[in-house]
Amino acid sequence: MSKSVTLVALLLGMHQAVWAQVAVDSLVQQDNSDFTFTESQLDDDNDAAQTVSSVTASASDPYQSEVGYRFSAMRFRTRAYDNMYNHVYMNGLMLNDLELGRFSYSMIGGMNDATRNQEGVVGFEYNNFGLAPVGGASNINTRASAFAAGKKVTLSLCNRNYVGRGMFTYATGLMDNGWAFAGTVGYRGASEGVIEGTYYNSFAYFLAAEKQLNDQHSISLVTFGSPTERSQQGASTEEAYWLANSHYYNPYWGYQNGEKRNSRVVHDFEPTTIATWDWKVDENMKLVTSAGVKYSRYSSTALGWNGDAYDPRPDYYKNLPSSIFDVYDMDKNNPQFLAENPYFVSQWQDLYDFWKADKANRQINWDRMYYVNSVQNHNGGEALYYQERRHNNQLVFMLNSTWNHNIDINNKYSLGLQLNHTKGMHYKTMADLLGGETYYDYDKFSANEYGRGTIEHPTEAANDLRNPYRRIGKGDKFGYDYNIIVNKARLWGQYQYTYNRYINAMLGAYGEGTTIERDGKMQNGRAPENSYGKSGTAKFMGGGVKALFTLRPIANNIVTLGVGWDSQAPLARNAFVAPRMQNNFVENLKLEGIFSSELAWQFRFGSLTGKFTGFYTKFKNQVEQTAFYNDQENRFTYLTMSRIDKAHYGIEGALVYQVNSELSFNLMGTVSNAKYTNNPYAQVNYEGMNSTTNAALNEWINPITGENMPLRVIMKDIKVGSTPLTALSLGANYNINSWFLELNLNYYNRVYVGYSAYRRLSNILTNYTATGSDEGRPIFNIEDETERSPQQILNEDGGVLFDTEGKEIATYSPHLEKYNGGFMLDASIGHFIRLKQGRAMSINLSLQNITNNRNLRTGGFEQNRDDLYSTGVARAYKFSRNAKYYYANAFNFFLNVNYRF
Amino acid sequence: MKRYIQTLGAAVMMLGSMMCSSCMDDNETPDVTDYIVTSKYSVGGPTMTISEFKDAYSSLFSQTNAFNLVEEDIIIEGVVVANDEGGNLYQTLVLAQLDGTKVDPTKCIVLAVKSTYLTPYFQMGQLVRINLRDLYIGCYSKLPKIGQPYTTSSNNLRLGPMLFELCKEHIYLVGAPKDYAARINPLVLNEGDDLLTKTANQNYQNAPMLVTVEGTFVDGDNESILAPDELKDAGMGVDRNFKIGSTTITVRTSTQNEVSFLKMPKQKVRLTGVLSYYSGWQLQLRSVNDMVIIDE
Repeated sequence: MSKSVTLVALLLGMHQAVWAQVAVDSLVQQDNSDFTFTESQLDDDNDAAQTVSSVTASASDPYQSEVGYRFSAMRFRTRAYDNMYNHVYMNGLMLNDLELGRFSYSMIGGMNDATRNQEGVVGFEYNNFGLAPVGGASNINTRASAFAAGKKVTLSLCNRNYVGRGMFTYATGLMDNGWAFAGTVGYRGASEGVIEGTYYNSFAYFLAAEKQLNDQHSISLVTFGSPTERSQQGASTEEAYWLANSHYYNPYWGYQNGEKRNSRVVHDFEPTTIATWDWKVDENMKLVTSAGVKYSRYSSTALGWNGDAYDPRPDYYKNLPSSIFDVYDMDKNNPQFLAENPYFVSQWQDLYDFWKADKANRQINWDRMYYVNSVQNHNGGEALYYQERRHNNQLVFMLNSTWNHNIDINNKYSLGLQLNHTKGMHYKTMADLLGGETYYDYDKFSANEYGRGTIEHPTEAANDLRNPYRRIGKGDKFGYDYNIIVNKARLWGQYQYTYNRYINAMLGAYGEGTTIERDGKMQNGRAPENSYGKSGTAKFMGGGVKALFTLRPIANNIVTLGVGWDSQAPLARNAFVAPRMQNNFVENLKLEGIFSSELAWQFRFGSLTGKFTGFYTKFKNQVEQTAFYNDQENRFTYLTMSRIDKAHYGIEGALVYQVNSELSFNLMGTVSNAKYTNNPYAQVNYEGMNSTTNAALNEWINPITGENMPLRVIMKDIKVGSTPLTALSLGANYNINSWFLELNLNYYNRVYVGYSAYRRLSNILTNYTATGSDEGRPIFNIEDETERSPQQILNEDGGVLFDTEGKEIATYSPHLEKYNGGFMLDASIGHFIRLKQGRAMSINLSLQNITNNRNLRTGGFEQNRDDLYSTGVARAYKFSRNAKYYYANAFNFFLNVNYRF
Repeated sequence: MKRYIQTLGAAVMMLGSMMCSSCMDDNETPDVTDYIVTSKYSVGGPTMTISEFKDAYSSLFSQTNAFNLVEEDIIIEGVVVANDEGGNLYQTLVLAQLDGTKVDPTKCIVLAVKSTYLTPYFQMGQLVRINLRDLYIGCYSKLPKIGQPYTTSSNNLRLGPMLFELCKEHIYLVGAPKDYAARINPLVLNEGDDLLTKTANQNYQNAPMLVTVEGTFVDGDNESILAPDELKDAGMGVDRNFKIGSTTITVRTSTQNEVSFLKMPKQKVRLTGVLSYYSGWQLQLRSVNDMVIIDE
């Protein structure tokens, strides 16, 4: 969205100038207000992952300040970091979620006018609200006195997740009596968004009051929330997109009574209240203390079905033509073979025709599920299909206190205390029985494994042994119910010393303690001894240091070197082996280490300004967990990786050439790498299985010695996916007579699909043993039915090589798909109209993807299933060739009209 | 001050009124009384009975493993006497010939359809009419079947299930399940019956059948279940010997379904199920209700 409009709209709101950074020289932009969330970034609280890392990063960095919205269409993540490495504060209170680590942008959705006033810093920058992590931090100032007095109406029209938006903002400004009030209400909605079968229904409110008690003290209170109901878009395979003739095919919806119904509906409401006490001791000392409470209610629905029922997903692989025979095998996919085996072609054609014949055929068949349940009712059976609602609620208490002291012109420091108590409440309820009348709480897939059991004699299938096999109605809890309690306390400080105008240094450090605990509310039949009650507390003591050295060898040239080390607790969401089922902590759970470094050169040569940065970040001992429905085993599966090492490195930079006061050109971009550097340990847990069966799943037997080895994920050198590692942009800005024009041509490449850890498990990959040796070099017999060379087989399919004594000598991870690169052309035009009596109007039109490039993949993931039956025979359907993808939006626009009065 | 509070109050009221709006995820329950996955229109009248059909393709059905494409309009009909209600039969329906109003449990054929849990669409007693044109027929081990070829997980080419999507084109439901459900009476087999003892009876005409037998499990101990996972063979099933007097047949049960967890009683039981021939006669129960203890 337009920087220009934002600039104009918010200049009046910057009351905190006294706390702005001290300007070093002309390179630093003085005005923070031009780096804002774009409209789409705030509103696209998308389903794949939040991808707005560092959108509010430092205004002093011409790359960081632009990159967030410039590359947002491709879900760009700065330096490929997870968003947990970017902290977001409001009025000095850190709002990142302790369970997921991320800030939820949806909590401030639809209140753009209230949240524009921000200060952002990159990872090593000094600031006055908190020590920034490697991905940077930003602080949103929402004190009522920070709002420009007046009223403002905003109306928007677009073709994105929603199609219309209206906002009204009113602020008194700081009145003579010391009070200031501000408020925003808004609505965003679409009965159908740009993606078929999705809708959006979101309100937003923001209220702020502030009382300046005297010259030293002021009290501020803000409360806000954005109750939202929206339905989702699902990724699908290229084959499904081809059959649907659209890269925007959405398998999540289907017709019910002739109306479109989406199976994935999110309810999201995170009402938050923050009270802030500002104590300005004198011109150089200030204490900011904020306390907040958030009660987040998030839930999303999904279809559920019992073990015997047919998978209702329309793009389930057995519904696809390529499930009939291996279309990638040229020994089969050739005229002669198919002429000899015509039934393969006819069945392929039948499924093809079915998909093409009617749109309803490729969407969810709600009527079929209702019908099946009605027959079950008639026969006295349980509902076979249902819609469940998975709740992830949180009650959070937060307290931050920050002391800032500018000792003199050369010395300043800040100290802070951050406390957070988070109680995450996770359970699921029955959203809709889809016409069914009875449903009992036991795991239907486990029942096939262990038997259903009865109340008197429950089996492992029981989800809650304390209340087994109870009948479930709409709204009832079932399946799982547990709380995760996380406490975190952090003490931090930073000091900046300016030796002279050529040299300064910043040193920061923190220490923190984290506790993580699970409190099970159900006694699960598969884990009767360790599911109900408390898990015990995992405690972590972490900390970190960082330093930034700044050197200005000649005028208008700044060189900075930043180095840092962090040691921090793993995320609570990754800490438990199978949190829906049991209390067990993940093995190898330890502090995560982060080494970060960057060297930057910022300069101005006449009309040319720019900055180049080289960075290297090493993550050690990370823990990651994926939870997915395992098609292969028909079970919900947790796969946890521990002791993960990753390296992110590359260069990034921006050049701005100011032709004159009206016209400028810019060139910016990054070429980076982000990859896993080892083969981490793995723990697999099927939710429907008991500990004995799960233990067997985690076996990796040495093919020579027969020894059981620790299970691992073979993923060394695998790239971090779903963000461009190469992103370049050439842009032009033209401003004249309150008209603002911007044109950007962006190029994206090296986007990788999200890897499947399951497909890379060491006991899933082929283990090769040496058949002998040649001059001490082991010889392997690596071949398959294709004509590929041994090296090709290893590079494409992966494998583990053992010598004749059973020693592992090499690992190869299966090939990870890299998407094709491509260009995207964006433009915006805006006009600011100053009216009489202080009123003003601004109009802005943003056009994204003007050339309508519909082939740019933004993300996706490999399917968690391998290509072989348990017999070792190849399946007809090739999961390894059928990842699921998301595509960048087609041509879209955003028209925004503001009227201030 | 009052003016400001009024303004903010109005904003809050506006918000409240908006929040009271109904959500968009309200969906009316569809009327699925007439829902079918089969053809809405007749696929034609029967051109031959199941028995006649088997005879017409006797050379095909006499082979061990063979299938052929049907290239003419052959329409047969039968009553569903076995389906996958209990999870023990996989992608399988057994249709029995309708002679007048009598459901003949001895003249049956397998209709294989590629979908799990076919029961709601093909309920017991449902009269089903099939146009076989463009479908495949064949047999595996003397078991006549309608379906389509596929490659098994052992990489063998077999006659497997027909695509579920083709039901809409090839299959027509006649009447309602209740019309014939009460008329399904299995053939009662006793010790020494010719069918079980005479080799000549091991032919396509006698497989499959819906039968009832009385006897005891050889390994019946009131504890062991019919099909524990650890005993499953390559076909994902477990065979249990069952004695009908001095005659022994196999009770074959797939693992991981309701039937597989039935305990094998020591006592005499009555079993009802689908009889077919592999290396010997084998019986597959349709559901847990197919085992009844008759001698406490």
